[in-house]
Amino acid sequence: MEGIILAIVLVLIVVGTTIITFVGPWGLPELASNWGSIDSMIIVTTIVTMIAFIAVNAVMAYFIYRYRHRDGRRAVYLVNDHRLEKILIIVTSIGIVFLLAPGLFVYSSFIQPPADALKLEVVSQQWAWAYRYPGADGKLGRSNIRFIDAKNSLGVDLKDPAGQDDVAISAGGTLHLPVNKPVELELRAKDVLHSFYVPQFRVKMDTVPGGITRLWFTPNKAGTFEVLCAELCGIGHYKMKSSVIVESEEEFQKWLKQQPTVSQTLGTK
Amino acid sequence: MQEHAAGLPETHGHEETHQHEPTGFWTKYIFSQDHKVIAMQYTITALLVGVVGMVFSWLMRLQLAFPGQLSLIQPDNYLQFMTQHGMIMVIYLLTAFLLGGFGNYLIPLMIGARDMAFPFLNMMSYWTYFVSVILLFAAFIVPGGPSGGGWTIYPPQSILPGASPGSEWGIRLLLMSLAVFVASGTMGGLNYVTTVLQLRAKGMTLMYLPLSVWGIFVASVLALLAFPALFVGGVMLLLDSLAGTSFFIPLVNQFGRQLGHEGGNPILFQHLFWYFGHPEVYIVILPAMGVVSDIIANFSRKPIFGYKAMVISILAIGGLSFLVWAHHMFVSGMNPYFAFWFAIATLAVAIPSAVKTYNWMLTLWGGNLWFTTPMLYAIGFVSTFVAGGLTGLYLGNTAVDVPLTDTYFVVAHFHLVMGVSAILGIFAGIYYWFPKAIGRMYNETLGKLHFWVTFVGTYAIFFPMYWLGAAGMPRRYYTNEAVTQLPPSSHELNIFITIAALTVGAAQLVFAFNLVWSIFKGKKAEGNPWKATSLEWQTPQTPPVHGNWGPTEPVVYRWAYDYSVPGASQDFTPQNVAGGPAQKAKASGKTKH
Amino acid sequence: MEQPQQERSGSLRRLVADWASDRETFRVRWSKAMMWIFLLGDSFVFGSFLSAYAATRIAATAPWPNTGEVFALHVGGAEIPLLLVAIMTLILLSSGATMTLAVIYGLRHDQKRAAMWTGLTALLGAIFVSLQAVEWTNLIREGARPWTNPWGAPQFGANFFMLTGFHGMHVTIGVLLLSIIALRTSRGVYEQKRDYLSVELVGLYWGFVDLVWVFLFPFFYLF
Repeated sequence: MEGIILAIVLVLIVVGTTIITFVGPWGLPELASNWGSIDSMIIVTTIVTMIAFIAVNAVMAYFIYRYRHRDGRRAVYLVNDHRLEKILIIVTSIGIVFLLAPGLFVYSSFIQPPADALKLEVVSQQWAWAYRYPGADGKLGRSNIRFIDAKNSLGVDLKDPAGQDDVAISAGGTLHLPVNKPVELELRAKDVLHSFYVPQFRVKMDTVPGGITRLWFTPNKAGTFEVLCAELCGIGHYKMKSSVIVESEEEFQKWLKQQPTVSQTLGTK
Repeated sequence: MQEHAAGLPETHGHEETHQHEPTGFWTKYIFSQDHKVIAMQYTITALLVGVVGMVFSWLMRLQLAFPGQLSLIQPDNYLQFMTQHGMIMVIYLLTAFLLGGFGNYLIPLMIGARDMAFPFLNMMSYWTYFVSVILLFAAFIVPGGPSGGGWTIYPPQSILPGASPGSEWGIRLLLMSLAVFVASGTMGGLNYVTTVLQLRAKGMTLMYLPLSVWGIFVASVLALLAFPALFVGGVMLLLDSLAGTSFFIPLVNQFGRQLGHEGGNPILFQHLFWYFGHPEVYIVILPAMGVVSDIIANFSRKPIFGYKAMVISILAIGGLSFLVWAHHMFVSGMNPYFAFWFAIATLAVAIPSAVKTYNWMLTLWGGNLWFTTPMLYAIGFVSTFVAGGLTGLYLGNTAVDVPLTDTYFVVAHFHLVMGVSAILGIFAGIYYWFPKAIGRMYNETLGKLHFWVTFVGTYAIFFPMYWLGAAGMPRRYYTNEAVTQLPPSSHELNIFITIAALTVGAAQLVFAFNLVWSIFKGKKAEGNPWKATSLEWQTPQTPPVHGNWGPTEPVVYRWAYDYSVPGASQDFTPQNVAGGPAQKAKASGKTKH
Repeated sequence: MEQPQQERSGSLRRLVADWASDRETFRVRWSKAMMWIFLLGDSFVFGSFLSAYAATRIAATAPWPNTGEVFALHVGGAEIPLLLVAIMTLILLSSGATMTLAVIYGLRHDQKRAAMWTGLTALLGAIFVSLQAVEWTNLIREGARPWTNPWGAPQFGANFFMLTGFHGMHVTIGVLLLSIIALRTSRGVYEQKRDYLSVELVGLYWGFVDLVWVFLFPFFYLF
C-alpha cells in the first residue's frame, strides 16, 4: 500500500513542480539588459534538469509500484551491468558538456567589457550606494579611503586633475544610465563586502573593501529599476537599496550637466 | 592529542584490546569509552542542539511571512537566528551526528571490531564536542549576543563593531567554539580512519565493507584535511578581532570613521572558509549516501547495484571536493579567470553523483520492495537529493550562477541537497538501527506519519524557493516587502512556505514521541529484524554489549549485499556465513538471472 | 568482482589488492598509523598558515620589511643578519639527529642510551623555545606588535607572531612529551613492557616539527 501511495506522491510532486515552474507567476523578472544569453542558458538548463528530475522520479515511482512486495515475490540477483553503467555515464557526461560549454562562452564575454563602455564608479557603504561619473575628460580621478571626510564622502584625490570634473552622486542618490550604451562599473566598498545587483540586468558583483571589482552590461530598456545589495553587509542589509534610471542619451546628458562637479563642490586644489 | 598517542600505555594487538567492562554509573554512562555509549551521547546532544536550530528557522520563517508584525524579531535578531541556524545545522548537528553518532555506532559493529582503535581518545572527542556546544551557546549571554554575520562569517562585516550584531564577543566565542569543534572532529576522525584501516575483522576486505562505512570513512578523511583550513581562517579572524591584526581587513571607513586596519585581504578568508566549506558539504552527504545505499539494498532484498562504481564515486566526490571550493565565489571579486577551472571541476562532480543516483534506482529495479519507515526515508533521500543536486548544474555553471547566486535559489539548492537530504538520511538511519541500538521496535505507524509530513513538507518548503530565487528574492533579507520587482503573489508564497515549515516542525514532535515511547514501551526487537546481511545485525546480544562480539570475533566470508542469492535457502546470507552458492554466482562474473 | 587477483600483475594492481585485503592496511601498530594520519592533517594546518601568509604578504599595501635587518644581532658592534635564527635552526636540526638516535636505541632496547638521547632532544627543544622567547622579546622591545611594527607592513608582525607562535607551541608540546618519555624510559617503564613505541611516536612527531621549521625558516626569514 505504501508503495502505491509513494509512487503517486512522487508523480504528484513532479507534475506540480513542473507545471508551476513553467507557468507559475514566479520567474525571472523581465530582462532589461544585453544578457539575453544568460537567460537562454537558464532556460536550457531548466529544460535539461527538469527532464532529469522528471525521469528520475517517474522511473523510481514506476519501480516502486512495479516491484513492491507481494506474496511469493523474490528479487532478482543483479550485481552489476557494466554496459548499462557505461551508457549512463556517457549520456550524463554529454549532457553536462552540453550545458557547460556554452555557459563558459557566455562567461568569457561577461568578464570582457567592451572598449567603448562608459566607465563609472559605484561606491558602497553601510547601507547606501554612491556613484561617480567621469567628467568631460572621460577619466575617473584617483580616490582613496584616506581622503574621505565629511565633505569628500567618496575619498576623491583632489590632487589628481582627472578628478576635478568628475560628478559625484553621494550616498542615497540615484544612478542614471543612457540606454543601449555599454556600461562598465568599477565597484568599490568603503567598509565591508556588498554586492551590486539589479535583477532585471541579470548581473551582480561583490564590492570588496581594499580593491576594485568590475561589472559590465548594456541596459536596453528605458525605465527605473532597483539596485539591491546581495552580499550580507550587516543589520541594514535588507534596506540597502538604490534606483537606477535608464533613459535616452539626451536626457542622460542633460541630467549629467546639471550635476555639480567635484571642483564645484569641494573647491579646486 | 599527542599526549594520548605518545604518553599512554599501549594495549594493542588484536588480542588484548579490551579493558574490563566498566561497572560504575560514571564510567558506564558519562565518561564511557564504549563506542556505542559515545555514539548515543553524540546523537542525543546533536539532536538537542538541532532542535534549537530548528526553532531559529521557525522564527525566521515567521518574520518572512508576517514582516513587522512580530516585535520580538528585529533585524539584528533575525540575522542572529539566521547565523546560528546555519552554524548549528551544518556543524553541530549534521557533522556531529553523522560522524560522531553514526560513525561511532556503526564503524566497529560493521567492520567486526570490538571497539574503536582508541577508546579514550573517542571519549575525549565527545567531551570536546560538548565544550564546543557550551561555547556556542555561551555566545547568547555575552554583551551583543551571538554573531549575526551569516554562517559564512565573512569579514570585515562579521568582526567590525556595529556592522552586524554580535560582532565583538559573539563572533569571538563562535570562533573559539569552532576551533574546539575542530579539535573534537580531529580526534574523532583519527579514530574513525585508523579503525577502518586497521581493525577490520578477519576476511573483511575493503571491498567487502558496507557502503555506510565507506561513506563515513571518506567523510572522516575529508574532515581531517578540510578542518585545518577552517581552523587557520578562524585563528586569523580571531586575531583580527582580538589583537587588531589586519589579515582580512584593509583600510576601511565605517560610518565616516577610519578604522586602524590596513592592507588586509577579505577574499583570503573566503578561500580558507570554502576550502573547508565545500568538503564540509560532502562530509555531511557522503555518510548519508552510504546509509541510504545500505537501506535501499536491504529493503529491495537485492545487492546494491554496481558496488564498485559506488565506492569509486564516493572516492571521486571526496577527491573532487578539494578542487571546487571557489565555485562559491564566482562573484566575490576574485580573479575572474579562476572561474573557468572551478566551473569545469564543479560540473564534473555531477558525474559520480549521477552514477550514485542511477545505482540506487537500478537497485530498486527487479527488487522485492518493503516499504518500512527507513525505506521510505531512503527513497525520499534520493528524490530530494536529485531535486537539490540538479540545480548544482545552474550554480556551478558560472554564467548561470551570476544572476542566481545570493538569492533564494541558492537557499533552495543547498537545503534540498545537503540539508533535507542529510536529515532524511539521518532519519532513515535512526529508524533502521533503532531496533539494534535500543533492543525495541519503534512504532511503524507513527514513523510513517512522520515520514509523509516531513517528506512532502520539505518539498513544499524548499521547492518554491527556487521560484522566488529566480524572481530575484535576495538571501538574508530581514524583509522582502520593499523588493519591487518581486510579484505580489510571492508574499503569499512566503506565507505558504512558513506554514509548511511550521507543519514539518510539528511533525518532529511525532518523531520525538515515537523515540521516547519506543525506548520504554516498544515491542522487543529480535537481533536481526530486517533480515540484514551486514555484521552489526549478527551480534550475539541485542543491543550489543561491551565488546560487541562475546568470546569470539566474527570472521567475514562475503560482501555485505548477498540478498536473494539464487539457490540460497533464505533471501539473505549474512557476511559471517561461510560457503553457499553466492560466491560461485559472483565468481562466474556475469550475474544476471 | 572483488575476488583476490593473484594472477594479475602490475605494481598498481598489487598495491590496490594489498590495500583492499583483509589485513590491517598498514602493517604497523595502530597508534603509529594514527600518528601518521594526524601529522598529515597537521601538515594541512601549516600548509594553510603558510598559504595565508603568502596571500596576506602579497595583498599588503605597505612595503614588506627587510628580514635580514629586522632579525640581525649586534655582536661586538657589528650587525650580523639572522644570527639568532641561524643558531635556532642549527639547534632544532641537531635535535632531529639526537631524536633519531633515541629512536634507534629504543628499538635496540638500550634503556640508558634511549633515555639519554630523548632527554637531550628535550633539552635542545627547550633551548630552541627559550631562544625564540629571546627573539620575541627583542622584537617587542623594538616596537613590533601583532597590529603594527616600525619596519613596514603590519602583516609582517601579525604573521611573525602567528607562525612562530604556532610552531613554538608545537615545539613546547614536544618538549613536554619528550621530558615525560625520557623520564619514563629512564625509570624502565618501557623496558618492563619490552616496548619502546612511545619513543618512536614522539620521534615521528618531533621529525614533523623539525620539517615544518625547514619550510618556515626560508619562507619567513630568508625571502
